[in-house]
Amino acid sequence: MRFVSFRPATSVLAATALLLIATAPSQAQTRAETLRYVTGSAVNTLDPNIPGSTRESFALSMSTYDRLVAFGRKQLNGKWVFDLDTITGELAESYDVSPDGLKLTFRLRKDAKFQDGSPVTAEDVKWSLDRCVTAPILGKAQLLTGSLTSADQFKVIDPLTIEVTLPKPDKLALPNLATVYPMIINSKVAKSHAAADDPWATAWLKEHTAGSGAYVVETFKPGEQVILKRDEAWNRGSANKPAFFKRVIVQSVPEPATRANLVERGDADLVVDLQASDVQSLEAKGKLKVVSTPQYNAITYVSMNNQMPPFDNVNVRRAIAYALPYDDMFKAALFGRGAPLFGATWPDGKPLNGIYPFQQPVKLDLDKAREYLKAAGLPEGFSTTFSFNVGQSSTAEPMAALVKESLGKIGIKVDIQKLPDAQMSTQINEKKLPFYTEGIVAWLPSTDYFYRNFYTGNQRWNYSSINNPDLAAIAQEARFEPDKAKYEEAGRKLNAMHADLMPQIMLWQPNQDAVMAASVEGYTYEFHRQVDYRDVSRK
Amino acid sequence: MTTGLRATLLRAGRRLLSSLPALFGVLVFTFLLMRVLPGDPAVFFASGPNAGKEEIEQIRKQMGLNRPVPEQLVFYLSDIGHGNLGRSMMTGQPVLKDLRERLPASLELTFTALLIALIAAVPLGVLAALRPGSIVDHGVRLFCALGVCVPTFVSGLLLIYVFYYLLGLAPDPTGRIDVFTSLPPQRTGFLSIDFLLAGDVEGWWAACKQLILPAVSMALFVIAPLARITRASMLVSLGSDFVRTARSVGLSWHKVVVTYALRNAILPVITIAGIVFSTMLGANVLVEKVFSWPGVASYALDALLSSDYAPVQGFVLLMASLFVLVNLVVDICYGIADPRVSIE
Repeated sequence: MRFVSFRPATSVLAATALLLIATAPSQAQTRAETLRYVTGSAVNTLDPNIPGSTRESFALSMSTYDRLVAFGRKQLNGKWVFDLDTITGELAESYDVSPDGLKLTFRLRKDAKFQDGSPVTAEDVKWSLDRCVTAPILGKAQLLTGSLTSADQFKVIDPLTIEVTLPKPDKLALPNLATVYPMIINSKVAKSHAAADDPWATAWLKEHTAGSGAYVVETFKPGEQVILKRDEAWNRGSANKPAFFKRVIVQSVPEPATRANLVERGDADLVVDLQASDVQSLEAKGKLKVVSTPQYNAITYVSMNNQMPPFDNVNVRRAIAYALPYDDMFKAALFGRGAPLFGATWPDGKPLNGIYPFQQPVKLDLDKAREYLKAAGLPEGFSTTFSFNVGQSSTAEPMAALVKESLGKIGIKVDIQKLPDAQMSTQINEKKLPFYTEGIVAWLPSTDYFYRNFYTGNQRWNYSSINNPDLAAIAQEARFEPDKAKYEEAGRKLNAMHADLMPQIMLWQPNQDAVMAASVEGYTYEFHRQVDYRDVSRK
Repeated sequence: MTTGLRATLLRAGRRLLSSLPALFGVLVFTFLLMRVLPGDPAVFFASGPNAGKEEIEQIRKQMGLNRPVPEQLVFYLSDIGHGNLGRSMMTGQPVLKDLRERLPASLELTFTALLIALIAAVPLGVLAALRPGSIVDHGVRLFCALGVCVPTFVSGLLLIYVFYYLLGLAPDPTGRIDVFTSLPPQRTGFLSIDFLLAGDVEGWWAACKQLILPAVSMALFVIAPLARITRASMLVSLGSDFVRTARSVGLSWHKVVVTYALRNAILPVITIAGIVFSTMLGANVLVEKVFSWPGVASYALDALLSSDYAPVQGFVLLMASLFVLVNLVVDICYGIADPRVSIE
């Protein structure tokens, strides 16, 4: 009661304060509350499901749409990274996995609203998941890896409950729902823009959003920039609060040197994908915050085509593995910025654990390499080509020169071949390259996933074209192995086979270097290797 | 005068008509060239973490690559006839829309650069020609050599380093306008004009500031040919009979140099300027990259690198048409500078 008398005074004060804020220079205000994020590539679609969509589009969709669940985060060597093993609710308030692992039940938040104000219902969730597995879009192939293949698997129980049924207890079903593609779309809005030949409104959603995400698209200039406005009603963030930044500007700046200048001058707040040399000098100056996280779901390889002579001979592959100048390559290509995957010592010759990728027990040893070449019946060496794509030339070019020099010492003559990106992907797809370097990223980095996708089958990602029935069988079985110890054992077996067969050579996991203004906080390394704008805030 | 104008128009019309077969040839040639290039765009665009055979096939279908080449060509030509240049896989937009949005940016940059280059080159050339062999002549030669031997992306990065990074005088080198400035209603697509039409002087100045560095780095590169041509043709003109006559009858220095010598010497400069303009429009890709300028050249380069057929074909068609147009304008300028040219 006592405070009643103060009310008029406080309201006058408040009104004055409001007036002051309103008339204060708005420029400074918006600048502090705006995140300007510059990146090399561009957002080319607002629906990440469209074939050909870029990483920037993936990141954008994380903020404009919600998913049922999201990855948690954890600390890795003092840096925040996404955590594959912690799945938290996003639109789902809670979820249950049945004891046999065949039923996932999601209960939606009662207060979740789409950006147009209508509530998020189980119907919308079903429509969105149906779209993901039915429409000819990218989500289809992704959800397949989690045994989600048909619309019959999604059932509406009541307006706030949805049930997902699995044919087998698949460990990757739940994490799959946290990836980019299964975003929840406002089905009424989308349906009103569908056409007879486009029942899933793919054309419309490419240029419009109908989500419940933390940010609303204000302007979208494909290839140039996207400006986002905060959705004030969104409360799925930490502590049930809206995202920190009022506006986010996602801008394409193709020249890496310019991106470095921008962040150093304070005109940009956050940059990823800088050149290693620029990051090093920015770090040395100490004015900015540099967060370098090894991309623990990405790997750079030297691949050999296991079906093509002479690389079909395991001793040739082993020879190469002992003839690569790992340390020099690591320094020349990445300035040592990353996590090496070479030079391990295995005390009893057995893998230390069942986690892939692992540090391989190989290092530069030319005598050993010569021995293996002799065992392969090629003591004089041979000639081959080493290919890389133009898009990666800043790291691959110095690497290729070192490979050529070092292999030359054991009689292997290497011709370096620099291919335009589209040509390189075509040749890889057609399995025509004998010896090359490439990288991969897995959104759901679990051991069986890596081995199934990158070491089996006749598809493009099987870079080494390895065809080993034993390996394929173990990887396939491990997928549905509920027992942790048995799974670990399968992983060890696979890793031991990898070290022995040496289908391709893992080199390293490059760092993701995020350079930001000192005031920016909360940056987290995400599975899509871009910035989730909801993570960051300003001090 | 009216007969002169009519003759010019007639000539222009005839020129346009006679360039149609050439344009058609360019169309077919680029189309075939893109198909002959190694690299399958469908594979490239299906590079997501899980893109398999099915995705590749789907993209191929979407791009119309599943049909035989002659059939593709027929479809392509009929599309062009309907004013449809196809869809870009990179931006996801129709190519026509992309080009329409980006062409003004490139044109504005190139026009400004050409203007700067001409303003600098013509006086330099004239000065050099008036005193051949002197210190001034050598100075001009040195300046031109420097300009032409430093590639545009080097001068661009240098200018950014000095004027943006070190001195902080220039705005940040990203795009046509500061991201925090609101755009004027689009009329011509040329920001410097649209801002003036909207009466927004502050915005106009912001757009101009953004334009200066890229335009200067492009201009530096083309000052040399323009100045050299000006000098050479000025020398010929100054040594000719009519200048000697003009001098001997005691006309003023100004009248002799500007009206008699320069007016006659300017013809080759116009020709070169026309050629320089067309090449600049395509060749400023590096400047566009360095300054994140949303122009057509960087767009075409990105498309080429990713084997995105439609934008590359659209770009080549656009360039060919522009080349025809520029030649026409050069012809008309000829007629104005030297009326004798119009007589056939």
